[in-house]
Amino acid sequence: MDPECSQLLPALCAVLADPRQPVADDTCLEKLLDWFKTITKAGSSLLLLQENPCLVELLCHVLKPQDLSSRVLSFSLRLAGVFAAQEDCFQYLQQGELLPRLFGEPGPLGGAAWTAPSVRSGWIQGLRSLAQHPSALHFLADCGAVDTIFSLQGDSSLFVASAAGQLLVHILGLSMQGLAEGHPSLQAGDWPVCAQKIVGHIEESLHSTAVPQITQALNVLTTTFGHCHDPWTQVLWVRLSPLVGSLLEKDPVPAAHSLVDLLLSVARSPGLSSSSCGLWETLAQTLNHLSPTQAGPLALGILKLQDCPQVLRAQAFVILLQPLACVLKATGQDPGPSDVLDSATGDSLTVDALLSSKAACVGLLCRTLAHLELLQPLPQRPCPWPQEPLLGAAVTLLQLCRGSASPASDVGRHLCALLLGCVRVQRAALDFLGTLSQETGPWKGRVGSFFMSVSGPQELVTEVFAVLLEYLRSPDSSPTVLKKAFQATFRWLLSSPKTPGCCDLEPHALLVLRELLPVLQKRLCSPCWEVRDSGLEFLTQMTRHWGGQAGFRHALLASEVPKLTEQLLRDPESYVRASAVTVMGQLSSQGLHVTPVSPEHPGGQQKSLLVELLHILSTDSEGFPRRAVMQVFTQWLRDHHADVAGDTEQFMARVLQVASQDLDWEVRAQGLELALVFLEQTLGQFHSHCPYAVTPPVAAPAGPLAQALQPLCRVRLFEFAFRALFDCDRPVAQKSCDLLLFLRAKTASSSGSLQESRSGPDVASVEAALQRWQAGDQGQPLGDLEPEVVLAVLRSVDLEGLRGALAEGSDHMEKSPQSLLQDMLATVGVLGENEADCY
Amino acid sequence: MPEIRVTPLGAGQDVGRSCILVSIAGKNVMLDCGMHMGFNDDRRFPDFSYITRNGRLTDFLDCVIISHFHLDHCGALPYFSEMVGYDGPIYMTHPTQAICPILLEDYRKIAVDKKGEANFFTSQMIKDCMKKVVAVHLHQTVQVDDELEIKAYYAGHVLGAAMFQIKVGSESVVYTGDYNMTPDRHLGAAWIDKCRPNLLITESTYATTIRDSKRCRERDFLKKVHEAVERGGKVLIPVFALGRAQELCILLETFWERMNLKAPIYFSTGLTEKANHYYKLFITWTNQKIRKTFVQRNMFEFKHIKAFDRAFADNPGPMVIMPGYCVQGTVGHKILSGQRKLEMEGRQVLEVKMQVEYMSFSAHADAKGIMQLVGQAEPESVLLVHGEAKKMEFLKQKIEQEFRVNCYMPANGETVTLPTSPSIPVGISLGLLKREMAQGLLPDAKKPRLLHGTLIMKDSNFRLVSSEQALKELGLAEHQLRFTCRVHLHDPRKEQETAMRVYSHLKSVLKDHCVQHLPDGSVTVESILIQAAAHSEDPGTKVLLVSWTYQDEELGSYLTSLLKKGLPQASS
Repeated sequence: MDPECSQLLPALCAVLADPRQPVADDTCLEKLLDWFKTITKAGSSLLLLQENPCLVELLCHVLKPQDLSSRVLSFSLRLAGVFAAQEDCFQYLQQGELLPRLFGEPGPLGGAAWTAPSVRSGWIQGLRSLAQHPSALHFLADCGAVDTIFSLQGDSSLFVASAAGQLLVHILGLSMQGLAEGHPSLQAGDWPVCAQKIVGHIEESLHSTAVPQITQALNVLTTTFGHCHDPWTQVLWVRLSPLVGSLLEKDPVPAAHSLVDLLLSVARSPGLSSSSCGLWETLAQTLNHLSPTQAGPLALGILKLQDCPQVLRAQAFVILLQPLACVLKATGQDPGPSDVLDSATGDSLTVDALLSSKAACVGLLCRTLAHLELLQPLPQRPCPWPQEPLLGAAVTLLQLCRGSASPASDVGRHLCALLLGCVRVQRAALDFLGTLSQETGPWKGRVGSFFMSVSGPQELVTEVFAVLLEYLRSPDSSPTVLKKAFQATFRWLLSSPKTPGCCDLEPHALLVLRELLPVLQKRLCSPCWEVRDSGLEFLTQMTRHWGGQAGFRHALLASEVPKLTEQLLRDPESYVRASAVTVMGQLSSQGLHVTPVSPEHPGGQQKSLLVELLHILSTDSEGFPRRAVMQVFTQWLRDHHADVAGDTEQFMARVLQVASQDLDWEVRAQGLELALVFLEQTLGQFHSHCPYAVTPPVAAPAGPLAQALQPLCRVRLFEFAFRALFDCDRPVAQKSCDLLLFLRAKTASSSGSLQESRSGPDVASVEAALQRWQAGDQGQPLGDLEPEVVLAVLRSVDLEGLRGALAEGSDHMEKSPQSLLQDMLATVGVLGENEADCY
Repeated sequence: MPEIRVTPLGAGQDVGRSCILVSIAGKNVMLDCGMHMGFNDDRRFPDFSYITRNGRLTDFLDCVIISHFHLDHCGALPYFSEMVGYDGPIYMTHPTQAICPILLEDYRKIAVDKKGEANFFTSQMIKDCMKKVVAVHLHQTVQVDDELEIKAYYAGHVLGAAMFQIKVGSESVVYTGDYNMTPDRHLGAAWIDKCRPNLLITESTYATTIRDSKRCRERDFLKKVHEAVERGGKVLIPVFALGRAQELCILLETFWERMNLKAPIYFSTGLTEKANHYYKLFITWTNQKIRKTFVQRNMFEFKHIKAFDRAFADNPGPMVIMPGYCVQGTVGHKILSGQRKLEMEGRQVLEVKMQVEYMSFSAHADAKGIMQLVGQAEPESVLLVHGEAKKMEFLKQKIEQEFRVNCYMPANGETVTLPTSPSIPVGISLGLLKREMAQGLLPDAKKPRLLHGTLIMKDSNFRLVSSEQALKELGLAEHQLRFTCRVHLHDPRKEQETAMRVYSHLKSVLKDHCVQHLPDGSVTVESILIQAAAHSEDPGTKVLLVSWTYQDEELGSYLTSLLKKGLPQASS
């Protein structure tokens, strides 16, 4: 601890111990505790306490009967725990019997303060920090803390209850750590006292009829098996698995959610799953006993396991598929002679669950779709994967939600009534449909021989696009549904087959695209900005992928979409304007934006996109469109876009000038990004860009260096970068610092041969300007700089030092421990006046 | 037993990081998703792991409702929706949806730009999050799904701030968010109808404060500003709470206009300027005065207040007014707590020479206002959030005493469970309704009326039918139940004569009823039978035996009381 803090500490401890002094707020105490944790991590707690006796005094003082705030009491308990985590310090505190008084019966535990959840939480967290060594275990056993922790597992505060469970896991692990290596004894009598007590409590809880108690026991076991794979956990599981198994005999199965978590945690642990306690049988049994809603997560968990018996996997997959199989059956679709789907259809429990209420139906379907969506991309997903029936189910669900399906069966009609207009199922089904496009490639005719769908794969794909178009067209589709429909459509278009050597869209996809563009056109005119934006994002994705393809280009140019997009550059919503800028930039890069001839001025052209974007950059009131313009310009410069390549210097000078005045730091930072690209292009490739690159920086030849720097000087890149060096926004300054350091490294070897010229502002005046800027003065422009002056200034400015300073957050002074102590002390007295106010 | 469960993940005995989970009739709703200004690490956001352990967030939560755009109510939203993975609907009012991204962007700027934090939500995430928002109008009932509906009420506080009623069937909860019960210069006062929710969750920032007159505070503020300017000084007002900036701008603008002052007023471009655009746009959300003057000019088109340009920057003048609270870890906090020496970067120490004034302009209801709202809504119970424990304790007692309702104040992580009476729909048979109509009284929703019938539960449904129909449906025989009563009359005449006198008396009094004198000497009025008998011990007293069926209970009781008063003396 530094001397300044050490000096402030006694006064602060006195304030904390004084019940008449209100403490600033919880956050100060939390930060104070963070600081003590850092100190004790780095050094001896004992020494800290000996050098600062006020800390022990504080801990003693809080025990006195007084009206102390629960915050301070909670803080003190946690602080004591932090100190006692080191065994010598623990002994030191034990000498004064301080710990039993803090954590035992005589302490807050028995007092009125115990009713405050923060005190109970502090007590648990204190013990959690303290329980690090054998002495602590004895202490816990002696002071009867374990019994209190048991009772706190059922605390009214979620935070306390959860922390109590975690603490039990920690104590169990700690007490078993001391056991001899090898196979621990099955006899409970051989286990340490604490462990015996905890395991006894778990057993008792598992025997209980109270669901909360069973849940607590299961949660403790789940965390234990999830974190610790020592041999003793196997002994524990062997001992407890019959009890866990007996829970399945009850109807309904108590604490099903926690039971699923525990079984999966055991199954994931290599040591436990291989032990001979019939885990797989228990899992199979559990799958059968749980309701369809509860069984879903277990089935998914089983299918995600790396090693698991095939029979169990098959059973789990059947369970997972059941709701969708029911949907297919109810709508008169034959899922095919697949073993999996066939066995999945007959479950009446699932049908009951689906039809019991709208909420149950929606919940079960959404969960099933989400589970399958998670499973689909995994390598361990079941094989064969019933791609076609799943596609059919997703399409059917979407049709049911729209009311466009007309099932003949009663169940089907009931489902239709339940799902009509259900946005939740629509969203989940669209997400799932999008996922199904990946890799399975039904376009490619890779149809598993297991499925003989009524409709062929191509028909199914046609159906997929039909339903997607139906959603995109429908006036009833909500903005979130539309966004997902756009995303799914893009994914399906992306999965279209590519002829080798040509990555154009497949003819069928092109047909879809032709139908899609008028829909997109309509959506770009939506009164809802969310929809317009999603439409533009979709167009961006499409242009990025197929902007170079003839079919796409033809279809797009034949539509009104590019024109509408251009109009959206003046949209009232800034998000939409930004998206429009991005699309327009891309369309222009791909040659898909042709500046049309103005009807009013047949002779001339309308202003070019470059001018339009520059106008947005200089006048738009919102940051997003201006940032988007800078990104487009950077990309254009990289791609040598025709509008830029014509007169790059003029373009650069203009953009940097506008960007330097921008109030949005991200626009200025983007300006530096643009400057870097220009720098690279002017000086050649920057090999030193990556600090780990093997190739050493290639220095530009000395002679042409000044010449090479000339264009940079002409576009006033250096003035922009030097000003940015002292920008009030840190990332801008950092970026500029990096850019200039870069340039210096690149020019280092050749700069010696340059003669400094005196034609422009000299080095001294530039340095003086830099100092003024650093002091916050805006000042006049520098004027034309000569390369030699730039190089000299680059050498004289302490860029490394600046980079170090910039690495610190702007609030690092206010965040320091000394500042915290000062603030806490300063608040005393004025707090009553200002009170805790808020916004 | 149906119940409402409430668990604050933030704002439980705490100000900041508002996030309250409500479970009502099986629906789970998250009220606000705020951040804590005092933390720079994980602790700034509510600990969502307590929800994610229940399975997928989107499956567990039916919706998220944001009360207003202040960051302690919406600052964690993009994190929650784009990083934790909530993909369901988010409800807020239109102005909140418009202004929220401005504040979230600003928050991102501070975190990423000023503090250099990595792994923070991006601008794209803010946009994607805002695209999940469903904007609502005031007093519009929005169906989240078939069972869950929400409705927004005006809350004052800031533009677009709303209180929300969450309703499932007959159970409802009202969440106030932050609100203000006294109108300020640009906003009106919060208002809610007598919706009698099962639970009112109210903020309690000023649980123990009765605020002095706003006029005085404003006068004080203007005086201080004016004095400083008159002395040739400059006043810097760092208004960090959006909404307060607009309030102070109007205050200063009006004062400048009235006093014909010439000193320039600048406001920093950026946040306030951006928000002003929306204040102009959502003029209907402001108070009546602003709306009225809108025809002549928009109050947010300031005449004296100009956008600040960096070129104007020079050393700040002699006075700084902080119109709000600053958390620890900021220079504002240091200045407010009276520290006169500030250590700046590079060990440079700045001496604070200026005069510092703290003035609270935050627009929250004070204790009186909170009581007023409880009175307005008439809830069955109240739950306090967004305040300090000690102050809440005081208000809790006051509410319990005055309104005779239970009041709760859970800490973060604590769950309050309220049992609710289930509402059971009962179908009424057409016959019974027709019978009621036949009595000439048309149904009136505002005048509840007693309806006699038999309640039958069949196939998990309740129906109220006439007793005849019930007997028929259930195949039961009717049992007659008669009430009897003895009335002693002092009458030395014979029993027959007494009966005759009773008959005459009743005939004269009960003109609308069928009163009969039967040959056996007994008298009947509808189903009521009256027989006279001699008293076994006192021949001067006659005993009237009155009996009636339950259908005529009212008439029977009336007759008994009538007869107890005695018979009129015979005129002859």
